[in-house]
Amino acid sequence: MQKDERPKHDVPDKDDFLLVASVLAGDRRAFEPLVRRHERRVFRVTLAVLGNIEDAEEAMQDTFVKAFRHLEQFRKESLFTTWLTRIAINEAIQKRKTRKNFVPLAQAEDAEKNFTPRRYEPWKSNPEQLYGKQEIHRFVEEAIQSLPEIYREAFVLRDVEELGAEEAAEALEISVPALKSRLLRARLMMREALAKKFEEPPTLKTKIVHTAMDAGTAVAMRLMRAAGR
Amino acid sequence: MKTMDCKDVLENLSGYVDGEGSDELRQALEEHISRCRRCRVVFDTTGTMLKIVTDAEPFEVPLSVSARLYARLENVLSEE
Repeated sequence: MQKDERPKHDVPDKDDFLLVASVLAGDRRAFEPLVRRHERRVFRVTLAVLGNIEDAEEAMQDTFVKAFRHLEQFRKESLFTTWLTRIAINEAIQKRKTRKNFVPLAQAEDAEKNFTPRRYEPWKSNPEQLYGKQEIHRFVEEAIQSLPEIYREAFVLRDVEELGAEEAAEALEISVPALKSRLLRARLMMREALAKKFEEPPTLKTKIVHTAMDAGTAVAMRLMRAAGR
Repeated sequence: MKTMDCKDVLENLSGYVDGEGSDELRQALEEHISRCRRCRVVFDTTGTMLKIVTDAEPFEVPLSVSARLYARLENVLSEE
């Protein structure tokens, strides 16, 4: 079940560098294709941190305006996506801090830190063929949006945007262990949320078999003892 | 070999998926899930969930949001 390590958003970085160079050389229009290539990622990141489209939109706009105005600060040692994502997370976090009900998340209690699985039925084979693409898309978005804030942002940065653990932790201003702990719970919550759609409804027979298997040797021992009596 | 209970497996599940942990730790986890149905289900379905999320590529930028972004950038780009 090892995760595929390939970057999913495989926009050739060379093209980013060329576009950045064009903008810096005075061709401002070259900024537009750069935006097209990255708007989705920026939107996802700001939405993950802020949780609603209106705020995410504003943070996305501010991200690109800031990136344009400070483009000369971009250093080729990092990827353009990394640099831009950092700006996006920062914009979103700054925006979140201006909210009236803001609680610093670094200190916010991890309300679900003891979250444990509740559903233990296996999923149907080829679950992605059970529904249309649009439907699965919706299930996934709803499941992500249902996560509490601190779990949602950890999940999106790591499992959707595929940022490294250190990079995601730094961007969210939390420690790496805190990030990993939140990611674990987020994944468990995501599994739980999607289980309803994908699990195999248990028959009476499988229920009995599973119960016996879960109870393991304890029940077997008891049965044997009972039989011996 | 080190042995793990269900709680240990849960705490190490995410790290395992990310390729972390020593060989010994990884083997102990594999050994546990080979004989524990519940942990095996959680382990397998977590992997399936991650694949579904990756394949779904969630959250497109709504057209109206995108249009407003380009409109604002148009103003910024045409500034002197």
